[in-house]
Formats: sequence, C-alpha cells, structure tokens
Amino acid sequence: MADTLPMRDTARREDAPWLTLKMREAMEAWLFISPTLAGFLIFFGGPLIAVVWYSLTEWNLLTQQATFVGLDNYNDALFRNPDFWHVVRNSVIFAVGLVPLNMALALVLALALSGRFAGVVVFRTVFFAPVVTSAVAWAIVWKFLLQGEAGFINQILALVGIDGPNWLREPNWAMAAVIVTRVIKMVGLNMILYIAALQAIPRDYGAAARLEGASGWQIFRWIVWPLLGPTTLVIMVITTIGSFKVFDHIYQMTGGGPENGTLVLAFYIYQQGFQFFDVGYASALAMIMFVIVMVLTIFQLALRRRDT
Amino acid sequence: MKATMKRMTTTVLALGMMSGTLGAAELRFTIWTGNEAHLKMLNAYAESFKAKHPDVTVKYETIPPGDYTQKLTFQLAGGNPPDAGWLMEDAAPTFAAAGVLENLAPALKKADGYDFADFSKPSLGLWTAGDKVYGVPFSTSPFVIFYNKDLFDKAGLEDPNALAAKGEWNMKKFQEVAKKLKDTSGKWGFEFKDGQGYDTRVMHALMPPIRAAGGDVWAAKQCGFDKPEAVAAVKQLHDMVFKDKSIVPPGEQGDYFSGGAAMTINQISRASLMPKAGFNWGIAPLPTGAGGESPVIGQAGIVVFSAGKQKELAGEFVAHMTSKENVAIAAQFFPPARKSVLESDAFTNSNNLIPPKQMKVVADAISKGKVLPAHEKSPQILAAMKPRVDALWRANADVEASLKAVCTAIQPLL
Repeated sequence: MADTLPMRDTARREDAPWLTLKMREAMEAWLFISPTLAGFLIFFGGPLIAVVWYSLTEWNLLTQQATFVGLDNYNDALFRNPDFWHVVRNSVIFAVGLVPLNMALALVLALALSGRFAGVVVFRTVFFAPVVTSAVAWAIVWKFLLQGEAGFINQILALVGIDGPNWLREPNWAMAAVIVTRVIKMVGLNMILYIAALQAIPRDYGAAARLEGASGWQIFRWIVWPLLGPTTLVIMVITTIGSFKVFDHIYQMTGGGPENGTLVLAFYIYQQGFQFFDVGYASALAMIMFVIVMVLTIFQLALRRRDT
Repeated sequence: MKATMKRMTTTVLALGMMSGTLGAAELRFTIWTGNEAHLKMLNAYAESFKAKHPDVTVKYETIPPGDYTQKLTFQLAGGNPPDAGWLMEDAAPTFAAAGVLENLAPALKKADGYDFADFSKPSLGLWTAGDKVYGVPFSTSPFVIFYNKDLFDKAGLEDPNALAAKGEWNMKKFQEVAKKLKDTSGKWGFEFKDGQGYDTRVMHALMPPIRAAGGDVWAAKQCGFDKPEAVAAVKQLHDMVFKDKSIVPPGEQGDYFSGGAAMTINQISRASLMPKAGFNWGIAPLPTGAGGESPVIGQAGIVVFSAGKQKELAGEFVAHMTSKENVAIAAQFFPPARKSVLESDAFTNSNNLIPPKQMKVVADAISKGKVLPAHEKSPQILAAMKPRVDALWRANADVEASLKAVCTAIQPLL
C-alpha cells in the first residue's frame, strides 16, 4: 500500500495539472459525503420540496385529483379552522410541560450519577433503558398502570388515601399523564448528554473555588451551570423540537383523546393525511409546524447568543 | 452495461407477452386475514378458477385489519393497485364515491348460473347504486351476544337463549341480568366489542341499543343521536356503566374471552377464540327494545379496482368466488348474503364450534338485520364524533346534551 500511494499521486498530477491542492481536497471531500448527500436529497430534500408544492393543492389521495388552490389550505388552517388553534395550544402545553420537566430531571440525575461510585453504571443503565425500549410496549404497559380503578398507580394512591383520577379518560389528567410518561421514557438521553458535559468540566475549577470558600450551591451556580450552557442549549433545542413532533406516544396512549385533550399537531397532521386522505391540507399543516419549530429554534439560539 | 440493458428489455418483453398474448396472468387480491384456514379456502377458489382459466394464478396479499383501508389506499394512490380485494363496510361508500371501484354488473351477468337475485336486498345496500354493482357482499356477519354460561349458572340466572325463547330477552332484562352477574360474581356483566367501545368501536357500542330502541344514529342525512329513542337507549347504557357498574367502564380492561366479563357483543368469527377460553359459553340474539328485534350486521364485500390492469379477469374471479357453490363453502367463516345458502341446513351445520340451534340465531339475524351505518365521509364523521362521545362517557355527564353535541358536530358532514 505504502509504495503505491506516491505513484498514484504523481500520475494524477499529470492527468489534471490545472487542479490546485485545495480543489483536489474539496473534490475528495464531496466524493466522500456523496453517498449520504444523495440519500439526503432523494429521501429528505426532495420530499421537503414536494410538501411545499402539495400544500398549495387540494389533493385527495383516493380520487387522485389534485387542484391548485394557492394559499387556501393555509388560510383555512390559520383563520377558519377552530380545531387548528386548539391543536396548536395542545402542542404548546405538551412542550411547556415536557421540556422543563425533562431538562430539570435530566440535570438532577446527571449531577447524581456523574461521579464515580460503586453501582453508578447500573443506575445510569436503569435510567437510560426506557430510551431504547419500544415506544409501543412502553405505551401499552403505562395504559395498564394508569387504568381507572384497577390500575396499579391508583391502587398505590388508594393505599395512602388518595382517590386517583381516571388518568387517560379525563382531558387534563390525560395530558399530564402523557407528558410524565414521555419524560420518564426520554429523560435518559438528556441525562447522558449532561453527564458527558459534567465530566468535561476540569475538577480544578471546583477545587479552586472551594479553597476560596465557595459553597456547593455557589460552585454549581457560578461555575458548573455556566459551563453547561452550550449543552443546555443543545438539549433545549432538541427536546423542544422532539416535543412538537411527538406522535407515536400520543397515538398509542390516547389516540388524541379524551375530548381531543391530547390532540397534538403531529397527530392532527396524521389524521388529515392518513385517515381523511387530504394530503394537501396535511402538507400545509406540516409546513406550519416546520415554521413554528424553526422560529422556536432560532429564538433559542438568539437567546444563547445574547447571554454570551 | 449494454448486455444488461438487452437482457432487461428481453425480460420485460417476455413478461409482456406472457400476460398479453399467452393468457398467463397473476391476479393480486388483497385481504385482511392471514389465518391459515381462511387462506386454504381462498386458495381452493383460485385452484377451481383454473378450470376456466388454466394459466391464471391468484396471489392473496394479507394486510392486517387495523391498517387495511389505509394501506390499500396507498397502493391505489401509489400506482400499484391490486386487481381485486376485500373491502370493509365503512370504506365502501368512500371508495365508491371516489370512483376507484369497477362496476361488476356486466361480469356478474355474464357468469353462468350466477343468480344475482339470490342475494338478499338489504345486504346489497352498501354495494349497489341503481343497476351498478360496486362490490359483492362476502361476509354478512351479525352481532350476537356471547355469554359465559358458567357465570349465569353460578348466579342462578336463566341464560339469554332461554330468555329469548320465552320472549323476555329485552334491554330491560339485559340491564337486570348484567347487574346481577356483576353483583354475584364480581366480574363485569358486559364488555363492549373487543373492549374498544369507547375508542375505535364507538359505533359498535352505541348502535345496537339505539336501533333496539327504534332509533338510528343517522338516516336520510339526518343525525339521529339526539332523538328521544337514542337518548333513552344511551341513558340506559350510561346507567349500566356508572350506576350499576355492570359494564366495563372507560379506561378499564375486562376481557370476556379470558373470563373477565360475563357477556360481550361480537361476530361469530370470534368463536375461534372460545375453545381456549376454558368455560361453557353460547351465543344469543341481541336483546330487543321498544323498536322490537333489530339485529345489526357488520359487512365486507369483494371488489375490483378500476385502476387495475386486468379488470375483466378480476371481475370473472369475483363472480367465481361468490357463486352459490363457493359462498356455501365460505359460510363456515363468513356468513352468506345469498338466501339459498342462508336457508340451507348446510349453513346451520357449517360451524363446528357453534351448535345448529345457535347458528339459527345467526341466520335469523342476517335475514332481519340492518347493516352498520356507513357514509362517504365515515372517517371524518367518526373523528368529529369522538371528542363529544368522550364527554358522554363521564360519570357526571349530561347524556342528552352530549348527544346533541354529537349531532351538532356531525350534521354538516352528513
């Protein structure tokens, strides 16, 4: 191998003497990423552009009739369809409930489990396991646990004299239940990210601060927390995006019910597109969701830039 | 490269010749069942079809029932249409209105000894428009009460068949019996179809009692949920769930087939679960109400898709599948809509799990029953109903107001 390389190098230089080293490197780089790039363009970029086009049509999947309607679908969603705002409200409630809870819990777990003590790996595994558990199995088990009277959760509550609600059948409780069960499922991922960030903080900082007489809280507030900033931002962005995109969990646990109390945007899009076969309208809703998520992400990035 | 292209072209040409000139063809047929016994029967149909078309094979493609309509739609939309297939009742009007179903009348007329008039009139409601035939009913399966005989005996109660024989099996008695069963056994008195009466089977839960009371969920584009008969019927159900606590309530599980509930409502295809249940059981007619006997039927038909490339052949196969002879064979699994088969002993003796006397219940229900409501906009109607029906299934709900809300929500769609 080693002897052949220089030979090929010289040969290539003779073939294309006009190529500078920089161009050559760029070409190589493009060649290396081309398989992924092709996949991205075909399976992601293409559909993304197609969705923009679909969203401007009224297209029934079954009849295969598509008519160009301009911005009608957007108009209808934003100004005429009362369900749409109810659904957006639900998505916002879901995100507002889930993101802080998930992040706070992830941070607490990471702080507790970032050290080195006997059994720490076991605990980390326990909290991470739900992340890799099948979403369907997770939802089915929780549906059992959250049954009205016969459910495990309510029987435990009954032991301490609390008459638990019929969790998944009352709109507000159902929303709370899907948020909490989702947090328990996904918190492990953020915990791992935080643990990695915590372990990257040099120990000297804490030690130095302690010498100066700083308390544990002060060390956390003025040293650890600022150094976790970039990680916190990443976690916040991906968790927010994930919470707006939540679908499988809702589909399995409540089907958007009861009384549309957990009907979130992604599920609503599914309904329009795959139950009513109204692909144009579903595409317009998907575009709106895309814009909402993008605006939120830009806002979070801007917030971070202002802080630093 | 050139060689490959050449080879490919030859293959394509050869395939084209096979399907065109030589008459060899494959029909793709979508179906929801993957059950071995069902497939064996269906493959036998394909085999006997060879008598007339020796070169034609039929490939059955199973799509699970939960995704059936959705995946079928994607196949049609994606330019990969099956030639023929099974279609559930709730999808029939939507598909017919969308113009994706082929008119089968010419194919059926051409078939020897087909006798289309043999199909009972009510069973054709969903599948015909004027003299156009968009599908042939293949399973016309009434809802019946499955009961746990052991729990009835333990409670010292007469079973539903005995009560029916005396003419006492009505909704009032049903409520009374369900409560007694609950109080004596601690098991639930009644479970809605497959335990999904509050979710995906809303119609199956509400429809039978409403029809028994003489009402309907909708008729002639008018919502019927808020009519007095329907309100009374649903109030009774509501009482059973929340006052008597005899029906498995929302959010709880109480499976009839594993002994968790004394009665349930279902179709005879579920009898296949009973040998494993480990208790004595029977099937009985639905309880009657102010509207008299009003059996409810779930239906599916066989259709040919307009987008298919072998429509004529597919139409012939549908005629073959639904001939008198073949409908009689299918009756063991899928109750027939042909009067001649329905009235024959062959039908009452066809199911080895259900005694002939109880199969009579099924035959009676088919001839007197009405098919579940279907509509061009079924998915939208169900989605619009869902939140209002959720509100109904709360202990402190105002039943009448909730049903009014259901009508407000679905009337524009009707």
